[in-house]
Amino acid sequence: MSTAAVIARRDLMAVVRSRSQLYSSMFTPLLFLVFLGNGVSAGLEPSNLPDGNFTAYLVAGVVAMTAVFSSTFSSASYYRDRDSGLLRLLLSSPAHPRTLLFGKSLSALVIGTIQGIVVLAVAAPFVDFQWQYGIAQGFLIAIAAIVLLNLMLTGIAQAMASRIQTMQGFHLLMNLALFPLLFFSGAFFPVDGLPTWLEVLAYANPLTYAVDALELAAYASSDATFIGLGVDFVVLGALSLAVYLLGLARTPKLTYSGS
Amino acid sequence: MPEPAIRASNITRNYGDRRALNGFSLEVPSGSTFGLLGPNGSGKSTFIAMVAAMETPAEGSLEIFGQPPARELRGQIATVFQENSADPLMGVAEYLRFAGQLFGLGGELSERIPELLARFGLAERGSDPVSSLSGGMRRRLEVARALLHHPRLLLLDEPTTGIDADERALLWETLRSANAGLTILLATNDLAEADAVCDTVAFVQAGTVVVSGTPATLKANLRRESVRIGWESPSESDLAQVASWPGTGEITRDGDLVAVTTDDSATFVPRLFELAPGAIRSIVIATASLEDAYFQHVRRRQEAAPK
Repeated sequence: MSTAAVIARRDLMAVVRSRSQLYSSMFTPLLFLVFLGNGVSAGLEPSNLPDGNFTAYLVAGVVAMTAVFSSTFSSASYYRDRDSGLLRLLLSSPAHPRTLLFGKSLSALVIGTIQGIVVLAVAAPFVDFQWQYGIAQGFLIAIAAIVLLNLMLTGIAQAMASRIQTMQGFHLLMNLALFPLLFFSGAFFPVDGLPTWLEVLAYANPLTYAVDALELAAYASSDATFIGLGVDFVVLGALSLAVYLLGLARTPKLTYSGS
Repeated sequence: MPEPAIRASNITRNYGDRRALNGFSLEVPSGSTFGLLGPNGSGKSTFIAMVAAMETPAEGSLEIFGQPPARELRGQIATVFQENSADPLMGVAEYLRFAGQLFGLGGELSERIPELLARFGLAERGSDPVSSLSGGMRRRLEVARALLHHPRLLLLDEPTTGIDADERALLWETLRSANAGLTILLATNDLAEADAVCDTVAFVQAGTVVVSGTPATLKANLRRESVRIGWESPSESDLAQVASWPGTGEITRDGDLVAVTTDDSATFVPRLFELAPGAIRSIVIATASLEDAYFQHVRRRQEAAPK
């Protein structure tokens, strides 16, 4: 087994063992979906949604939010490893720091992807999805979008975690960087119809293309008012790979502090 | 003469304005147990990190088995850190498997892990979480982990800190029976431990090797006996007078504790009571130890250093 796979497996096991992290990361997005989705649907009845039902519309946004949380929490394993001392062992091994980073990013990618798929699969029977490409094809498109989204977010999170000294600083920066992106991505309200300056921001936002692809895959009955899968996957694919590889290209600043 | 396991020559390393190593030079013979002794912050851990290729010297040269330190050499090196490196949530055997795989081991781990667990008295604890082990057991687990990949060089950074005497004895006993030809570099504050287990020691202070040699050689330069005196406010003139007595060797003072080496304590002690009646609170007489040699070389330098 390659070193990266060994590290990825160990990080996955750590998440599985940490029951509170596992359950909260699974249930939080679903609770979000149930309460916010139904609350907004019943209270506001948003009429400008392409296909009416807000809870169904929100699923893509919640999957995106899950990816944001997942990449953040998974990448914070650096700090857990540093506190437990395991990071010293990793850094004293023959593995290159980039291999360590790759292994950790793999586990974050797997966890984020599984969580996204679970949220989608659990929500699907209870909301009014249109599945314009068919259910199986729609699921595959959604999975592809989830993988690329997690690839991109994991790349960002890993690069930050391997360079920021404190876990508090890391979470603060991740929140600062990713939450505004989430808000202007169409995750919680459609991009179409926003004020022009917000619309410009939304189209400059890589998360927008992931959310758009997810909406098209399951929620939407047609491509009208959406960006379109072709553009979504070109932008998402190029950015995800670029960000992920860029994140791995620089040797992480993880050092042994001698006395 | 066989090539030394470690050859360091005039190494310097700064952390910001602080100089961690300052002209650090030493040679560690292959197959030996070599002790680095010095106060906290003297540069021992920094040097160990350099040997493990986790830090780089700013100046000077360092060779491990005749080669500059590199990640590729880490397969021949193992490090036991001052702090534990096991994730407390992992199982004991699981941790060893993980560590072994990090160092490129595969199928042989199925035999190697039970063998090491048995050797270090942890055979019954293989499936328990690391968090359930006592402090001494965790240190044994760390050493077992370090030996997994049959290293040629074992770096021990204060490996027995915080464990009791029985655990310490067991750890060393097991290490002695470990890999034949293994070179051990031990960084420690524990002079008695170093005296007992090291073939050669180096006293390190402020990033510099003050003196090195076998414990016997270092002690040979001292007088035969060590007298530790609890002496209330000794004056400089009294200490000068003690120094002038025949057979008196090194005198070091730490507050009201004065350590003197002498050829003959039977003559020395009565003279001391004559010199300072009522001021002598306690006297301990022992054969000169590595600690006395340490006091002689390191404390004297500390006292002489500009404040």
